[in-house]
Amino acid sequence: MTQQHTGTVLETIIEGVREDLETRRASVSLQQVQRAAAEQTPALDAEAALRGSDPAAVQVVAEVKRSSPSKGALAEITDPARLAAAYERGGASVISVLTEQRRFGGSLADLDAVRRAVGIPVLRKDFVVADYQVWEARAHGADMVLLIVAALDDAALARLLELTHHLGMHALVETHTEEEIDRAVAAGARIIGVNTRDLKTLDVDVHTFGRLARRLPREAVVVAESGVAGEEQIRLYAGHGANAVLAGEALVTAADPAQRIARFREVGALARGEFLDGATPPAAQAEFAARQAAAAPEEERPESLRHAPGPYFGDFGGRWMPESLVAALDELSETFEKARTDDEFQEEFKRLSRDYSGRPSLLTEAERFGAELGVRVFLKREDLNHTGSHKINNVLGQALLARRMGKTRLIAETGAGQHGVATATAAALFGMECRVYMGEEDTRRQALNVARMRLLGAEVVAVTNGSRTLKDAINEALRDWVASVDTTHYLLGTAAGPHPFPAMVRYFHEQIGEEARAQILEQTGRLPDAVTACVGGGSNAIGIFHGFLDDPAVELYGNEAGGDGVSTGRHAATISLGRPGVLHGARTFLMQDTDGQTVESHSISAGLDYPAVGPEHSYLHSIGRVKYEAVTDEQAMDAFRLLCRTEGIIPAIESCHALAGARDVAARWVAELGPEAAAEKIIVVSLSGRGDKDVATAAEWFDMLPDGSHEERVAQKGEKL
Amino acid sequence: MSTTGAPSTPAGLIARIVPENLSAREDSALSRRIEACRAEGRPALVGYLPAGYPTVEESVAAAVALGRNGADVIEIGIPYSDPVMDGPVIQAATTESLANGFHVSDVFTVVRAVAEQTDAVPVVMTYWNPVLQTGVDEFARRLSAAGGAGIITPDLIPDEAGEWFAASEEHGLDRIFLVAPSTTRERMDMTVHAASGFLYAVSVMGVTGARDRVSSAAEDVVARARAAGAQRVCVGLGVSTREHVLEIGRYADGVIVGTALVRALGEGGPEAVGRLTAQLAGRE
Repeated sequence: MTQQHTGTVLETIIEGVREDLETRRASVSLQQVQRAAAEQTPALDAEAALRGSDPAAVQVVAEVKRSSPSKGALAEITDPARLAAAYERGGASVISVLTEQRRFGGSLADLDAVRRAVGIPVLRKDFVVADYQVWEARAHGADMVLLIVAALDDAALARLLELTHHLGMHALVETHTEEEIDRAVAAGARIIGVNTRDLKTLDVDVHTFGRLARRLPREAVVVAESGVAGEEQIRLYAGHGANAVLAGEALVTAADPAQRIARFREVGALARGEFLDGATPPAAQAEFAARQAAAAPEEERPESLRHAPGPYFGDFGGRWMPESLVAALDELSETFEKARTDDEFQEEFKRLSRDYSGRPSLLTEAERFGAELGVRVFLKREDLNHTGSHKINNVLGQALLARRMGKTRLIAETGAGQHGVATATAAALFGMECRVYMGEEDTRRQALNVARMRLLGAEVVAVTNGSRTLKDAINEALRDWVASVDTTHYLLGTAAGPHPFPAMVRYFHEQIGEEARAQILEQTGRLPDAVTACVGGGSNAIGIFHGFLDDPAVELYGNEAGGDGVSTGRHAATISLGRPGVLHGARTFLMQDTDGQTVESHSISAGLDYPAVGPEHSYLHSIGRVKYEAVTDEQAMDAFRLLCRTEGIIPAIESCHALAGARDVAARWVAELGPEAAAEKIIVVSLSGRGDKDVATAAEWFDMLPDGSHEERVAQKGEKL
Repeated sequence: MSTTGAPSTPAGLIARIVPENLSAREDSALSRRIEACRAEGRPALVGYLPAGYPTVEESVAAAVALGRNGADVIEIGIPYSDPVMDGPVIQAATTESLANGFHVSDVFTVVRAVAEQTDAVPVVMTYWNPVLQTGVDEFARRLSAAGGAGIITPDLIPDEAGEWFAASEEHGLDRIFLVAPSTTRERMDMTVHAASGFLYAVSVMGVTGARDRVSSAAEDVVARARAAGAQRVCVGLGVSTREHVLEIGRYADGVIVGTALVRALGEGGPEAVGRLTAQLAGRE
């Protein structure tokens, strides 16, 4: 659709706008306006203001509006500056000022007055059809302009948008239809408004928003416009994923506009939270995956997904690292590449896996647990490995490489202590020096694991900077490594970080998936219908997925930590809710604010409590091969209890996310296929670790500790134990 | 795609990573300033301060004091949540800046102040994710508009700098990459080709922080950079006194001071920054 469809109302308004524009241009030349624009202080970042720092929040664009074609005069605004200041006090993120004169009673004088009164971004709301108006907006201190797709052809839209960005401003690109959304996206719009008012009839249909919202790209900032009479519409728009709502009439006619905005933000956040909790992962993921698939021609997809060599996995991965460490990464890559084709290395790795770790690990059918879910469930028993989790696979492999490189010292990061214990174990076995970095809080809560590491001869360093969590332990390990790289190998614990770590760590865990595939074929004579695994950095998941990536009929699920719920902001659902960025050496999905600062993650399971994820997972998500879904603490702990009581196995809380994920998949099958068909389905769950370390957390969660016991004093609900 | 661990010939590495016809920017403001210092027979004094520490206003005052007391080039750092190349002093300062509400866009305010109120050449030092999230081209455009001359990139190697090559050419900015004692011959050649303005030689294998003595590795890194064709090499990490400046000035084109200035700002405010700068510049 082009601008022919605009209908008479818009056309009539624009005629008037053009006439007024010519009058202004006659008195103030473009050159004069450009000079005034150059003298302005730089534009404020309206996009950041509209995204907000909390993904679950809803921002309010509050409008200073005297009258409208649909309603006539709305309110006597004697002092636009004072009204705008009240909006700002109430928590508005952007002030919109109508400057159209004939129908809306606005003026550039209103814009000037508001600009002087507030410190937040200001939107010039007008019918922009010429470059002159964009310069004019900047000259009057606007940070943002409105561009109405229906009023512009593609070339004009692209040109005006580019000029807006060139002047450091942002544009609210307003759309009414799916076609207009596509045009806005094609033009490069970053902030897309959906106006629910029909341009011909001027009627508002608030349900238009939900229909159009599905069309909007996930990375765009979405602003719902028109029809905001009260909280009900805010709920509706936010419930369909709006980042922000534009409210005019409802505010200028309110007794206390500031209070009204605060209330809008409150109800909006609740509704958006629900949207993020339920609707975002499947809807947005499907869309993201479809876009990725459309963007990448089929022939670029590798024939097999199982042995991606890195450094890149699609758009993800790489080596975003200080130059000081590049030589060490090169040496590691080279040593690893040689080792994987070296019989002697292979023999030694296999021997250690067999005689020291106890591989292959069992595949156990969980009959009573499966009966509760209504499907057949098989558990890949990484919990039975030496040290109690899959971590030992990677640690033994890397320690062998370290020895080949002549390194005599191992350093590692750890969250709950499992990887730290495994590294200390390998260091003891190989006679190497070992230092483990651990967040200060974790050392206090994980006193027993700290003792384990010390018993094994390792030094444990409590990290007291930054957020004192796993990510800061990684930062500290990297700082150590920069200064000690001659003698030291950094034994990273997950399939994340710079190349070669993601591909190398996966390699050492591939045996999980290869064993599981052979075992399920032997026990059931067929492949499973689904595989679930928990994903923090994602090492056990990538290990078990490896076995099934090239079996398209096997559905793969990565279960991220939903913490208190994805709507609360306290979670570690990196892929479900994050966006691509660079952290710890890789381009991957991250939990970050609009500035690119890492946001703290939260999970009852310390092993999943990481704000990034391995880059290969970001890739598998982008092509839609693996579905990533969030599991809350509560769902994970319910699965924990169920497995304990039905199978006599106490699982690691990390692994409970995969058990809960299997429960979700099973419930969908039961609902869709009926109980009989569902009972034939097979799910393999990666039981990545045993739960001994989690007993205190679980006992506290289920309120099983005697009053005044020592464990109760240490443990608090939701703590990382 | 781009990087692999496999060793390559220098020419292969350059061809694979550095775009053809990349300008050397010999006449950029930054290049010319360092050449001018050389003509005066002294090393350029490069001072680092983080934007927004302790507040945006005071960081502006401190940067201006730095510029008016003898710094030739000023690195404005962007505080970042995960500064893996920084020692405790700078970590504490940038953490405080973030706690006080620093936003990435504030960096342009500080850069603009340096450009307008001092004769020093302002550059930005930043970890890469904040630039990526702003949009590499958008960041470059705004930096250039604010009067910035280039970006020092502690965690961006040329191997990953495709977007940055394009944006820096488009907006006329210098690419200041780092080299270290561990940098191989091949990578040194490649990085010299990729960089402009000056090459940042890391004096020691480690993170930022004042040290009593500057590592002897620094002279070797500078010599290897020159052998690879580098025109201007500045040395950083561990530099804190006038004696260090004189010592390094014997073999390098510029001397980079960070932690000592940040500590002075924390202890004595912008005035203390001015005093230390004057000492470092030999004006007292």
